[in-house]
Amino acid sequence: MANDSFAANVRAKRARLVSTVLQYALAAIVVVVVVFPVYWMIISSLKTSEELLRPVPSLWPAEFRWRNYSDALAMAPFGKYFFNTLVMTMGIMSLQLVIGSFAAYGFSKGRFPGRDALFVVVLGALMIPIQVTFVPIYGMVAKLHWINTFAGLIVPHAVSAYMIFMLRQTFKSVDDSFLEAARLEGMGRIGIIFKILVPMCKPTMLTVGIISFIDGWNSYFWPKMVTTTPFRRTIAQGVYELKRSYAGLETMNQNQIMAGAVMAVVPIIVLFVVLQKYILSGFSKAASK
Amino acid sequence: MKANGNAITGRRGASHRKREKAKDFLCVAPALAFFAVFVYYPLVDLFRIGFTNWNLIRDDYKYVGLKNYKWLFKGSGFDTWLASLKVTFSYTFWEIVITLAGGMLLAALFNRESKAFSAMRSIVFMPKYIAISTSAIVFMWILNDQYGFLNFVMGIFGKEPVAWLNSERTALTSVLILTGWRVVGYGMMIYLSAMKGISKDYYEAAELDGANAFLRFRHITLPLLSPTTLFLFVTTFIASMKVFQSIDVMTSGGPYESTNVMVYWIYDLAFVQFRVDRAAVVASVFFVILLAFTAATMKISNKSVHYES
Amino acid sequence: MRMKSGIRFAVSALLIGAAVCANAQDAKKYEVTAPIKIEWWHALEAQYAPLVEKVVADFERKNPMIDVEAIYQGSYKDLNEKLIAAQAAGTTLPAVTVANTPYIAEYGASGVCEVLDPYIKATRFDIGDFGAGLRTASSYDGKQVSLPFLISTQIMFYNKDMADAEKIKLPETWAEMDAFMKKASKVSDGATQRYATVFPGWDQWYYETFFLNNGVKIVNKDGETTDLGDAKAVAVAQKLKQWCDDKAAYWAYGKDASGVMRQNFMDGKAFSVIHTTSLYNMYATNCKFKVGMHYLPGNTSRDSEIGGCVLLIPRKNSQAVKNAGWQLISYLTGKDVNMLWARETGYMPTRNSVTKTAEGKAFLAEKPAFKAVFDNLDHINPRIQHPAYTALSKVWMQELAKVIIEGGDVKAAMKKAATLIDEALQD
Repeated sequence: MANDSFAANVRAKRARLVSTVLQYALAAIVVVVVVFPVYWMIISSLKTSEELLRPVPSLWPAEFRWRNYSDALAMAPFGKYFFNTLVMTMGIMSLQLVIGSFAAYGFSKGRFPGRDALFVVVLGALMIPIQVTFVPIYGMVAKLHWINTFAGLIVPHAVSAYMIFMLRQTFKSVDDSFLEAARLEGMGRIGIIFKILVPMCKPTMLTVGIISFIDGWNSYFWPKMVTTTPFRRTIAQGVYELKRSYAGLETMNQNQIMAGAVMAVVPIIVLFVVLQKYILSGFSKAASK
Repeated sequence: MKANGNAITGRRGASHRKREKAKDFLCVAPALAFFAVFVYYPLVDLFRIGFTNWNLIRDDYKYVGLKNYKWLFKGSGFDTWLASLKVTFSYTFWEIVITLAGGMLLAALFNRESKAFSAMRSIVFMPKYIAISTSAIVFMWILNDQYGFLNFVMGIFGKEPVAWLNSERTALTSVLILTGWRVVGYGMMIYLSAMKGISKDYYEAAELDGANAFLRFRHITLPLLSPTTLFLFVTTFIASMKVFQSIDVMTSGGPYESTNVMVYWIYDLAFVQFRVDRAAVVASVFFVILLAFTAATMKISNKSVHYES
Repeated sequence: MRMKSGIRFAVSALLIGAAVCANAQDAKKYEVTAPIKIEWWHALEAQYAPLVEKVVADFERKNPMIDVEAIYQGSYKDLNEKLIAAQAAGTTLPAVTVANTPYIAEYGASGVCEVLDPYIKATRFDIGDFGAGLRTASSYDGKQVSLPFLISTQIMFYNKDMADAEKIKLPETWAEMDAFMKKASKVSDGATQRYATVFPGWDQWYYETFFLNNGVKIVNKDGETTDLGDAKAVAVAQKLKQWCDDKAAYWAYGKDASGVMRQNFMDGKAFSVIHTTSLYNMYATNCKFKVGMHYLPGNTSRDSEIGGCVLLIPRKNSQAVKNAGWQLISYLTGKDVNMLWARETGYMPTRNSVTKTAEGKAFLAEKPAFKAVFDNLDHINPRIQHPAYTALSKVWMQELAKVIIEGGDVKAAMKKAATLIDEALQD
C-alpha cells in the first residue's frame, strides 16, 4: 500500500517534470523565434558588406565593423530624430490622457441628453484612417502654419477614440458610491476625475498611456506628410529615409541600414526594460475590463 | 444619487440639475469638438469630393454626379475593388486568427509563475513596441529572395528559394509574418492577464468533479475569457482593416495588387494616380462597410459573451 | 491670369520687335531685391549629397541675397506626394523642385507649374542651347513649364571584361537578341549561373523602347487608345517572356528589385543589365571590372527616351519667391553645373554647345563609355506626354510582370492591359 502510493508519487513527479521540461523547451523555442529578427538586425549592422552578401550567412560577424554606425549617423541625424519623436510622442500621450479622461468621465458618469448617441460618434471616429481624411486635415494644418512644427505633429492626434472607449469601460466599473462620497465632501468634477477615478483605474490609465506611446512612436504616415524638412522628422521616417537614400545600393549597404534600425529600436527596448514592471501590470488588469 | 436628488428640490434644484448637465457635457465637449474638426469635417468633405472630378492639384473642378460611383460599381473599378476587399478581409482574418488563437496558445504555454517565464513573457511581448516601418525593413532583409536568411534556412531543408515579397502567392503571407511577429505576444499578454482574473475556485471544483485539463479549459477558461476575446476581436478587426504601414514599406500593394489592401488602394488612387475623386468614393464606401461590420459584430457578440458577474 | 498676360506680352513684344527695350523693364520685374530664404526639394540621394552641397554653396556665393536650403524628399514618388499635398494646401510649397519627367504632363495640365517663358525672355536665358527634344520634354502644351536638369536615357550596362574574354557580341538589332541571350548566359540543368541580361520590370520606362522600336504605338495619335494589345506588341512581350522562361534573363520586380539587380551585376551573376545612363558612375566605381555602355538594340527604329528630372517653380508661390527660384533654376540648369554633374555622375550633357562642339569630344575622352550615348543623341526622344501616363504605366507594368513571372497567356494579358489603358486614356 505504502509502496504503491510511493510509486504513484514518483510517477506523478516524473510526469510533472517531463511536462515542465517540455513547457520550458517550447517556450524557449518561441522566444528564439521572436528574438531572431532583432538579433539578425543587430549582427547585420556589424558585418562588412562582403560578409553580408555571402551565400552562407554567418550567425556571428567575422569582423565587427562599428563604422556602420558612424556612416549611418552621417547620412541621417538620428539624435535629432529621436528628440523629435520623443517630444511628439509625449505630447500626444499627455493630451490624449487628459482630454480622454474628461471625455470618459462624461460618457460614463455624466448625465446629459444624447450621451449615448454622442458616444457612437466617438466610436465612429475609430473607423476612419488618416490616409483617407488626410487631404482636408493637411489643408487646415497648412493654413495654421503648422507644417514642420510640433503642433502639426501632435494636434491632429490629440484625442484618441480608442482611449476614450477603454477609459469609459473602466470608469463605468467604478461604483457610483465613491463619487457620491466625494461629491458630498464638496469635490468638483476635476477632483473626482483626477483624485478618484484616475487613481482607482491606474492600471488602465497606464495601459492606455503605453498604447498611446507605442502608437505615437510608430506613427509614420502623418509625420512623413507634415514634415517637409529634416528639422522635425521622426525616427520611424529616419530609418526608411536612410534605406531610400542608398539609392538602389541598399543590398550592399544593408549593414548601415540595420545600424539605423538598431538606433531606432534600442532606445525603445531600453525604455521597455526599465518600465516593464509597470507596463505588464498595467496590461494584466486593464485588458479584461 | 437618490439621497442627493431628494436633498435638493424645487426650482433651485431644476436649475442646478441643468447646470450639472451642462458641466457634464463640457467634459466631453473638447473631444467632440476635436472629432468634429479632425474626423467628421474631413469625412463630409470626402463624401463631397466623391461627386467631383478633382485631381488634388487643380484649383478648379466640376461636380460630376455619380460618375465615380458608376466607375466603382459598374466600371473598371469594380474588379479591383472586389480584389481589394478580398485582400483586406483575408489579411484581417489572419491577423485576428493569429491574435486570438496564437495569443491563446501562447498564453497557455507561458502561464507559469517563475522568474524565467516572466522574463520570457516580456520578450515575446516586445515586438509590439518596435515601429512597424523599422521592423518592416528588417523583415524585408530577412525575406530577401537572394540574400535573405529565410531562404537560406529553406535551402538547408532542400527547398527552392521563395520570392517572398515579389510573388503574388506569397506576398500577403510575408506581410503576415511580420504582423504575426508583432501581435502574437500582445494577444498572449491580454489573455494571460484575463486568465489571472479567473478565480481558482472554479478549477478546484472542476477538478473534484474529475474534469481533465482539456475539459477545464473548454468549459471554464474559454467561456470566462469571452469578454477578452470580444475585446481583442473588435479592436483587432478595426485596426487590421486599416492596415497600411507594413504594406507601404514592404510591397506598395504589389506584386500585381496581391496586397492592395483598401487603405493602400485609396492612398494610391489619390497620390500616385491623381484620382482623388475616385479615392474619395472608395473611402466613403469603405467607411460604410466598416461601420456596418463593427455594428454587426457588437450586436452578435453582445448575446454570446459571458460576463463573470 | 499672370501667365496669360505674360505670354501675350511676350508675343506682342516679338511682333513689334522692341524686345530689347521691353526686356530691360521685364528683367527688373524678376529681380531679387531683398534677402530671401528659399527651399529646393530634390530626390538626389546620399551619393549625390557632396555635389548638391557644392552647387548650392557656389550659387549662394554668386547670389548673396538668396539663402537656399536643399532638402532631400525621398524618391520621385515620395517627392510627388509631398508636392501635391503642398499644392492642395496652397502653402509650404518649395521655391524650386525637381520632378521626374512623366509628371510634367499632369502638373502642366493642372497648373502646378509657373510658366517660364516670360522669365526666359526677360532674362534672355539661352533656352535654344537645349536640344529640341529636351525642350519638348520639359514643356507642356507648348509652354515651357520646367527646365531640363538631370537627363539620362535607357542603356545597357555590360561587363566589358567578360565581353572581351568570351567575345560576346552585343545586340544591335532586335533580331540579334536571341543569339545574344544564348551566348551571354550560362544555364545548366535548368539553373542559371549567369544571366545574359536583367530587365527592370519594376518600371515600364526601361523596356518601353523595345516596344516603340518594334513599331508599337503606346498612345495613338487620338490620345485615347493604345496598340499594346495588338499583334506587334504581343510579339515583343512573348519574346521577353521567352528569354525569362529560358532563364537566360530575369524580370526584376518588386520593391528591392533594383538593389538586387545591381548587386547581381556587380557580383558577376549577370553579364549585363538594362538601366539608366545616370548610374554610370555608380556602376563604374562599385564594379571590380570594366563597365561598358551599349545603346539598346532597335528594329524598325532605334530610339531611346529622355529620363531623369526637370526643375520647376510651383505657381502658387509669391512673386518674390518665384524670382529667387528663377535665379536658382537658371543657375542649376546652366552649362557649368550641367557639366559638373555630367562628369561626376552618369547624367548627360544637355547643351548643344557641349555635345556638338569640341567640348563634347573632350568629355568623351574623359568618359569613353558615353560614346554609345553621343552617337545616338539625335535618337533620344521626349517621353510620351499624357496626363493619364502614370495610370497607364502602372497597369502595363503590372500585367506584363505578372504574365512573365507568374506565367499565363501573354496575348490575354496584353489585351487586358490594353482595355484598362484605353479606359484610363479616355477618361
